[in-house]
Amino acid sequence: MSRARLGDLASYLLLGVLAVFFAVPFAWLVSLAIRTPAEVYRGAARFIPEAPTLDNFRTILSDPAFLIYLWNGLKLSTAGAALAVALAIPAAYACSRIDFRGKAAVLLGLLAVQMISPLVLLVPLYRWMSALGLLNRDLSVIAVYGALGMPLAVWLLKIAFDAIPKELEEAASMDGASRPRTLALITLPLARSGIASAFILAMVMNWSQFLIPFILLERDADWPISVAIFNFAGSISASTTQLLAAACLIAVLPAVAVFVALQRMIVTALIAGAVKG
Amino acid sequence: MRPAPDRGPGAAHPAPWLLPAVLVLAAFYAVPVLDVARLAVSDATLVRPASGFSTQALRAILTDPALPQVLGTTLLFVAVNVVALQLLGLLIALTIARGERRGLHGMAAFRTLVLAAWVVPGIANGLIWSMLFDEAPYGTLNSLLAYVGAGPVAWLSDPRMALVSAVIANLWQGTAFSMIVFYAARRGIDPTLYEVAALDGAGPWRVFTAITLPLLRRAIAVNTVLVSVQTLNTFDSILALTGGGPGRATEVLSLFTFNTVFYNLDLAGGAVLALLLFVIGMGMTLAVLAAGGRGEA
Repeated sequence: MSRARLGDLASYLLLGVLAVFFAVPFAWLVSLAIRTPAEVYRGAARFIPEAPTLDNFRTILSDPAFLIYLWNGLKLSTAGAALAVALAIPAAYACSRIDFRGKAAVLLGLLAVQMISPLVLLVPLYRWMSALGLLNRDLSVIAVYGALGMPLAVWLLKIAFDAIPKELEEAASMDGASRPRTLALITLPLARSGIASAFILAMVMNWSQFLIPFILLERDADWPISVAIFNFAGSISASTTQLLAAACLIAVLPAVAVFVALQRMIVTALIAGAVKG
Repeated sequence: MRPAPDRGPGAAHPAPWLLPAVLVLAAFYAVPVLDVARLAVSDATLVRPASGFSTQALRAILTDPALPQVLGTTLLFVAVNVVALQLLGLLIALTIARGERRGLHGMAAFRTLVLAAWVVPGIANGLIWSMLFDEAPYGTLNSLLAYVGAGPVAWLSDPRMALVSAVIANLWQGTAFSMIVFYAARRGIDPTLYEVAALDGAGPWRVFTAITLPLLRRAIAVNTVLVSVQTLNTFDSILALTGGGPGRATEVLSLFTFNTVFYNLDLAGGAVLALLLFVIGMGMTLAVLAAGGRGEA
C-alpha cells in the first residue's frame, strides 16, 4: 500500500472516531425522544427502541404553550436578524466603497466589541429597558439582538460588497443615480447571497440566545423556546427524560435544519470572513 | 477633515453611512460598559437605584471567599478548552483539507456534522449532555461503559469529573469554530510551497512543521483570542448541565456574575464581576494580539 493510501486510511480512521463523538449526542437524543417511559430505563441496551413511539412529540406539541414558544423564538430571532442586517448595510457599504480615515479602526472596533459578554451589557440595559417601560416587550429583545448581531453582519456584508465590481456602480452613477439609489438597485441585489448568509447566521445565533430573553421577558407566554426548555427541564422529574429529549429535539431541529440546508452558502461567507479577518 | 480623494465612487462623506452603526456601538456597547463601571462603585441593587458612591460592593466581592475558587475554575476551564478546542479544530481542518485534495468521500458530510453541533443552542447543549451523563444505571454513557465492564463514572456529582464533563460538552459544541478558521487559513496557503516541499522529498511531519504551522501562526493567534473570550463568556451550557455544581465546582466567572446579579439581585456586586469579566476578556485580547504581532515582525 502506498504512503498516500495509508494516509487516506488514517484520515478515515481519525474522522470515523471523531464522527462517533459528534454524532452520538444527536443519535441519543433521537433515541430517547422516541422511547416509551419503560424503555428509557433500558439505557444503552435499546439504542433502537423495541416499540418506537411519537407520543412524546405529540405530548409536547399538543401543549399550546410550546407552539407559542416556538413562534416567539421564530419571531424574535427573525426580527432581530433583520434589524442587525439593516443596521449593518450602510456601515458595510461605507467600509467597502468609501475611502475615509479611520476605516481600519472602525472595522477593528466592530471586531473588539464582539469580545464583550452580553452579560456585561445586560446589567445596565436591563435598568434602561425598565426605565423606558420596555421590559416584557418583544421590542427590547429585538433591539438587543439587532445590536449584538450588527458587528458580524457589517464584516460579512463588507466582504460581500467588496466582491461586486465597482464598475457596475459607476455605470449607474453616471446615469445620474444617487448613491443610496445605486446601493438599493445595483449593489444589494448583487450581494443577496452575502446578505442572506449574514441574516441566517444572525437568526441562528438569536435562536440560541438564552440570557437576553430570560432577563428581559418575565412572562411565560413571551418566552422563546430556548428559555422555555430550560424552565421545562427544571420543572420535571427524572422519570420524564423522554419528554425532555423530545422538547430538546424540537428546540434544536429548526436551527440545525436551516443551517445544514444553507451551510454551503453560509460556510463560504464565513471562510471569506476568516481569510480577510 | 481630509479632502476626499478624487476617485469617483470613493469620493463621498462616510459620516451619514456610519451613523447607524456608530449610534448602536455607543448606545449598546460603550455607554453600558461605562455604566457598569459606575454601578460597580455604587450601592445599587437590581430593584433600587444607586444613592451614592460606595466601594462597599467592590470590597465585598473582592474579599468574597468564593471568588478565588471561581477564578481558579474559570482559568482551568478556559485554558483546557482553548488548547483542546484548537488542537481538535486544527486536526479536523487539516484532515478535511487533505481529504478534499485526495478526493476522498464524506469530507463535506463530516464538516456538516461538526457544524450541526455548533448551532445547537447552549441551553439545549447542556440539557443533552446532562442526559448523556445521567448517573443512573440506565444513563447513556454509564450503561455503555457497563457493557465493557467499566464504570460507573460520577460524571456530574464528582467535583473534578464535573469540570471534565463541562469541558467535553463545550468541545462538542465549540470545535466547529476553530475548524472553520483553520480550514480557511489552510486553504489560503500557496499550494506551490507544498509542491516545492514534495520535490525536495520532505516528509509529512517536516511539511507540517516547516510550512503549515508557521503560515497558520497568525490564524492561531487570532483564533486563540476569539476562543478564549468565547469560552470565558460561556455560561448557558454550564447552567443547564450542572448549574455550577456540585458545590461551586463548575461555577465559572460568567455564571457567578449571572447568579450574583439575577439571582441574588446584587447589582453593584454583579457590576464589579461584569467589569472583571470585561477587563479579563480585553486583557487576553490585547496580550495575545501583542504577542502575535511581535511574532510576525
